[in-house]
This record gives sequence, structure tokens and C-alpha cells, in this order.
Amino acid sequence: MRFRTTREQRIFNVKTVVRWILYYIVIFICFLIMTSGTWMKPILLVPAAAAIAVNSGQYGSALAGAVCGFLIDIACGKLMGYNAVLLTFFCIIVSLLYEYYLRNKFINYIIITSVIAYIQCWLDYKFYYEMWEYADVELIFSQISMKVWAITIISSVFIYLVIELINHFFLPKTHITIEEAIKNNS
Amino acid sequence: MRDFVKSAKFKVLLGFLAFLIGIMVYSVTKGGYSLSVVSAFNTVTKPFRTVSNNISRSMEGTLDRFVHSDEYYKENQRLKEEIGELNRQLTEYEALKTEVEELRELVSIKSEHEDFEFTQACDVIGYIANDPFMAFTIDKGSADNITPNCPVVTAEGLVGITVEVSEHMTTVRTILSPDLSVAAVNSKNNKDMGIVEGSVASAQQGQTQLIHIDKNNKFKVGDLIITSGTSGLFPKDYSIGKIKSIDLDSNGLSDFPRFT
Repeated sequence: MRFRTTREQRIFNVKTVVRWILYYIVIFICFLIMTSGTWMKPILLVPAAAAIAVNSGQYGSALAGAVCGFLIDIACGKLMGYNAVLLTFFCIIVSLLYEYYLRNKFINYIIITSVIAYIQCWLDYKFYYEMWEYADVELIFSQISMKVWAITIISSVFIYLVIELINHFFLPKTHITIEEAIKNNS
Repeated sequence: MRDFVKSAKFKVLLGFLAFLIGIMVYSVTKGGYSLSVVSAFNTVTKPFRTVSNNISRSMEGTLDRFVHSDEYYKENQRLKEEIGELNRQLTEYEALKTEVEELRELVSIKSEHEDFEFTQACDVIGYIANDPFMAFTIDKGSADNITPNCPVVTAEGLVGITVEVSEHMTTVRTILSPDLSVAAVNSKNNKDMGIVEGSVASAQQGQTQLIHIDKNNKFKVGDLIITSGTSGLFPKDYSIGKIKSIDLDSNGLSDFPRFT
């Protein structure tokens, strides 16, 4: 176990606070993009929530998932809490997967985001369109849900880069290099 | 992982999920009004959303002009011809209007729709993301006396109905949606009636359709469809659109006009 000095502890706290503030700024910007314009848009908050859950504990992930979910509900005009429940659940799962089984690799993130985004789009289609038996309802799945899913996966690359950039500067390192250890002890 | 399932953290997270489900159930009971927290959030974020939507619309407009310049040129030519025709009709209309006003004064008929209450003009501040039926939000809410199920109209005609009302923001469901039915009539003869109801296929082309029409109808392409006002929910004589095409319905037994 590594002991931290008071100064290190203070830096750690400041970095953590700044990191979470930046996460929520990114979330808010994603929300603004989703509510702007008339064109089809990716559900940016899904990859954002997944990217945050990768490096966060279960509580932080659950909260970020709930916030992103509520914002999706507002942006997409869905029942308040519907996407919040979904994303909270998925973010906890993602956080646990990374804690116990997965390494922080881009490919893992893309696969996980694709699966979550697909389930989100599919459930949205099932509950909001197919269940009500509109005529030609399958067009919504092929023409809208699948396109939204595809552009969400593409956009997740940019979200990943932004979150990684924040992590690069503000995520406290869990391991230190030999040089850092020598420097700290000298 | 097994340790996690047995831990207090797991129970706390389960409780949090149950709390979120509780919020979901509670929001169902609000009957068209937003939760107070959402209403407050909408009020706080309204300026940001307005600015971001304006930027986005302006970018979309610029790109759209580049991509569809040929179509706009053709449309411009067509509209010029239409304006000429409308100007001719306007001259006739002015003469008729004067005559009607004189007749009204003669028989002391009150002008129609005196009981209607209009809110101040609303601005569109955003569109519901990826909604196939183009629902959108406007910048007025319950503070401006808007309630759920209020008709939304523009100078061009009927747009839709309010469905979710916050204090300073309201979501509007458009007439492209299959969840909205409007009693309508052909303005030419005031006889051919039907129900305007959107569908998934027609909404993709920005059109809606008229269903439940009489077998011996006299609808023609170009006819103006207006609200009949029989349901009491929508104002009478508001323009809905012009018939663009008349097709057979899915079972092939009856025809139905599609219009924009």
C-alpha cells in the first residue's frame, strides 16, 4: 500500500474534483448538442456515461449514469427516469467489468459502448414504437434506430478521446514508475 | 465479484436503482406536466439551449443551401408562379371580404373565435432528438398559461398539440404523429370530411394523411384541407395542408390523400 503525504493528498483531492467537474461539463455539452438542430443526432450521452464508468468506482458510475440517463430523457422526450434506470444499471456493470475482468483498452470501450447503445436503441424502439403497433413501424428501426446506433458508435471515438484527455491530466495514477518511487524516497 | 454482491455497496446501488424506478413511476402520474426538478432544469438551461440551437440551425442552413441549391432554384420558380396566382386570388378575396363585412354588420353576427385565447408568439428552442414525428420544444410554458393539450398554430395553419408542459418550456407533438388525430374537411366544398392522422411512412417525407374519408369523396390534388372544429379541441377553419397525392391504403380498398 502506498502512503500519501498531505501535499499529495491535497493534489489528489483537487485533481479528483476538477476531473468530475470536467466530466459534467462534457455531459452538459453532449446534452446541448443532442437538443440542437433538426438533423439526426447520436445519443452522445451513452458513450459519455460508458467512458466515465471505465475509470470510476461504482457510486460515481451510477451517479454519472443516472445524470446522463435523465438528460437523454429530456433531450429525447422520453418518460423521466426510463433512460436513467437503464444507464445507471449499465454504468455499474461497466465499472465492475473494468474492475474485475477488463483492461482499459480502446477496443473494449468500443465493444461495450456498441452493446449498450444497441440495447438502448432497441428498447427505445420496442417500448416507444413497436409496442403501439403503428403501421410500417419497422421503418423506424431500420431508418432511425439503426442509423442513430451507427452514428453513436462513430461519435463514441471522439467522446473517448475527450474523456481520455481529461483522465490523462486529472486521473490520479494508481501505479508509479520506478523513477517516481526513487524521486519520492530521495 | 461474489464479494461485491454480498457487500453493502451492492445494496446501496440496488436502493438507488429502486429510487430511479420510483421517479419513473411518479412521472407517469404527472398528467402532461414536467417534474418540478425537470421544470427548474429546463428554465436554467433554456438560454444555453436557445443559443446552441441557433448555432446548430445556422450551420444546418448553410450546409443545406450548398447541398440543395438546385432544388431551391426550382422551388423558387414554382413559388413565383404561385405568388402570381395568389395575387389574382387576393384581389377577388379583398372584394369578397368587404362584402362579407358589410353583410355581418347588417345581421350583427359576432366574428368567429372570439372565445379563443392566444398566448404570446412562441419561439422554437429545440427539437426532440431523433423523433420520427418531428416533435419540438417552444419557449413558453405553464407560466404563460399553457396547459397540456393546447392546439399550436402558426400563420400557415395547425402545427400540433402541447404534450408536456414545464414552467418555461413546452413540448409540442406535431400533426405528423400517429398519436394525434384531427377532424378535417376539404375547404373547397366543406363536405368531404376525414381524420388527419400521421403515419410512420408519411412522416418520413414530412407529410401526413387523411383517413376515414367517404367513398364518394371529391378530393383532388392541390385541395386545401382545413380543421373542421367538430372535436372541440382544435379551432375551426385552420389550414392543415394541401393534398399532394391520393393513394390507395395498405389493404387497397379505399384511397387516402397524403398532404404537406
